[in-house]
Amino acid sequence: MLKIKQTEMPQLLNAWAQKSRVFVPQDRGGVSAFLPWDGKGTLTLGKGNTLEPPKDIFFPRTETMYRYQVAEAATTLETMPPQKEQHVLVGIRSCDARSLEIMDDVFLTKGYEDEFYRQKRENTVVIALACNEALPTCFCTAFEIDPGRAEGVDVQMWMTSDSYLVEAITDKGEELLKQTSELLTPVENETLPDAAKPTLKVDVEGITEKLQQMFEHLYWAEVSRKCLGCGACTYLCPTCHCFDIQSENRGSSGFKFRCWDSCMFSEYTRMAGGHNPRPSKKERMRNRFLHKLQYIPERYGKYGCVGCGRCLDRCPVNVDITRVIREIKEVTL
Amino acid sequence: MSSIQEQMRIRARELLTSGQVQMVIGWEKGSFWYLSPPVFITDPAEVDRLIWDEFCTHNLAKYLLDYKLSEDKIALFVKGCDTRGINRLLQDNQIQRDKVYLIGIKCSGIKDGRQAQVLGEERKGEVPLAYKCSYCTSPAPLVYDELIEGTDDSKVKSENFKGTGRYELVEKIEAMTPDERYAFWTGHYDRCLRCYACRNICPACNCRECIFDRSQSGWCGKQMNRSENLYFAITRAMHVAGRCIECGECERACPVGIPIMALNQKIIKEINDLFGEYEAGVDLEMKPPMVQYNSDDPDEFE
Ligand code: SF4
Ligand code: SF4
Ligand code: SF4
Ligand code: SF4
Repeated sequence: MLKIKQTEMPQLLNAWAQKSRVFVPQDRGGVSAFLPWDGKGTLTLGKGNTLEPPKDIFFPRTETMYRYQVAEAATTLETMPPQKEQHVLVGIRSCDARSLEIMDDVFLTKGYEDEFYRQKRENTVVIALACNEALPTCFCTAFEIDPGRAEGVDVQMWMTSDSYLVEAITDKGEELLKQTSELLTPVENETLPDAAKPTLKVDVEGITEKLQQMFEHLYWAEVSRKCLGCGACTYLCPTCHCFDIQSENRGSSGFKFRCWDSCMFSEYTRMAGGHNPRPSKKERMRNRFLHKLQYIPERYGKYGCVGCGRCLDRCPVNVDITRVIREIKEVTL
Repeated sequence: MSSIQEQMRIRARELLTSGQVQMVIGWEKGSFWYLSPPVFITDPAEVDRLIWDEFCTHNLAKYLLDYKLSEDKIALFVKGCDTRGINRLLQDNQIQRDKVYLIGIKCSGIKDGRQAQVLGEERKGEVPLAYKCSYCTSPAPLVYDELIEGTDDSKVKSENFKGTGRYELVEKIEAMTPDERYAFWTGHYDRCLRCYACRNICPACNCRECIFDRSQSGWCGKQMNRSENLYFAITRAMHVAGRCIECGECERACPVGIPIMALNQKIIKEINDLFGEYEAGVDLEMKPPMVQYNSDDPDEFE
């Protein structure tokens, strides 16, 4: 195990930033997000989880897919150059680490590999930071996530009163730490700080099976009444991964891009010709919860929610997924 | 006299039981002490979910649009600012007055839930009044079918009520150089998620179909970048110009804390300067300045 003083963290980030683009929690107008480190920002590493999830490092809000040019009858396509830039993602929490595994399932398995996602994922060293303290909105333990140790990451860190303890988990992580060994002191027999104990509890046992019988249930009309149909919950969710593909045309050339989209919007399911199979917020909200708690578990064997609490924190009308889970378990079929 | 909350429950029960209304929209206690989200009650047995406390921020008027095509009559609890939202929707012919039953509440100010969250429950007493309440001119409902006068008017101490400060941030921004101003707004709107919570909660945003839900139209694009985000910000601000009732709901709903009200209030300030004082949603008969023409307009358009 290695150790570095909290006050020396910026130096470590600077050192990594020599070779890679380093994303680390920083403040942007009062909001904490994973932003590229240029040595000047205000670090929020260790101060609760970020409001914005890390997903846009792998799955940007907007991403050009290819460019095209039309000249007379011929069309030329220009694909985007492969993304070679190395990334270091510093300080993701255990919940968000699980979210990357869910994103991997979606973008990399079941017979189709999303090239854009794969390149960024492979070029990124992921460094997790254990949680010592949970926010009132955290409920990761409901999904058997350990706030004290993340899954599927390259390096794990823990925060003590004045230092970070650092441990390489994968070869990729080992490699990165080696590059900066002069800043990291080897230590032995360090006691790890106690992991956070989230106070928000919800029992998800049996929820998928219950939902399988609830597609037509009256509950959806009730629970969705207060929903505004905005995209706050889905855009802040680390596992929501829906996107739209559109193009920008300028004369005879243009480009195709994909950008985040949300199942809470009416436009999301509107067909050519105007028909909308999810005509109201009832169907849209049902889809959001079924996707997280039924469809993803059925397809990938894990829940699509990681208990980060972002949606219930920022939903303008307090649609609280833990309450929804509790209510679903109680409704009569 | 019993508390506002007790009276709310009594009246809701009576209205539902007698069949005068089919639904009551009010507030209930949310997941945390600083949240009092909307609740929709159709069963008289559930009226005890209704609450009244210093976090009943939500302007419930907008929900009436969800029931526009329904035959049901709906009872709605309204604070002073909320009634301006009702007038707004009435002026735009979005709702029918006889299909809503308005129960007015004399409001003594609402607290800032976001700051409450930051301060924590132990420091509950220090939570400030919501910004919009600090200069509110109509805490008493302007339109209602009945009025609840409680004994707990002083629940939120109105000592924070300044009656001023409405243009505090606007004036700060006006004093900036153009470059600083650009940095200010791009800094904020670079964060915009384009989640449209601000639009969806707004009683002035009541177009049947919003231009931002028509990305194929070519008017606006779906890319989430600086130029599209600013286009969204400016377009929405201009679309509610003269109709914004300053309920502050857009800014409260914004998940990433964009100071949207500064944009709205800049426009309100300009309109007041150019066309004379106008408070949207206060006087039902007075048309919003941007939807009428007057040959005496002081506007020096040439
Ligand atoms: S659940 Fe909340 S955040 Fe999500 S769409 Fe509805 S109002 Fe917006
Ligand atoms: S559904 Fe909500 S709590 Fe679950 S992962 Fe998404 S944002 Fe986090
Ligand atoms: S723009 Fe904002 S303050 Fe104005 S009416 Fe709409 S939600 Fe209220
Ligand atoms: S609520 Fe905030 S983040 Fe969402 S679209 Fe409006 S300004 Fe952007």
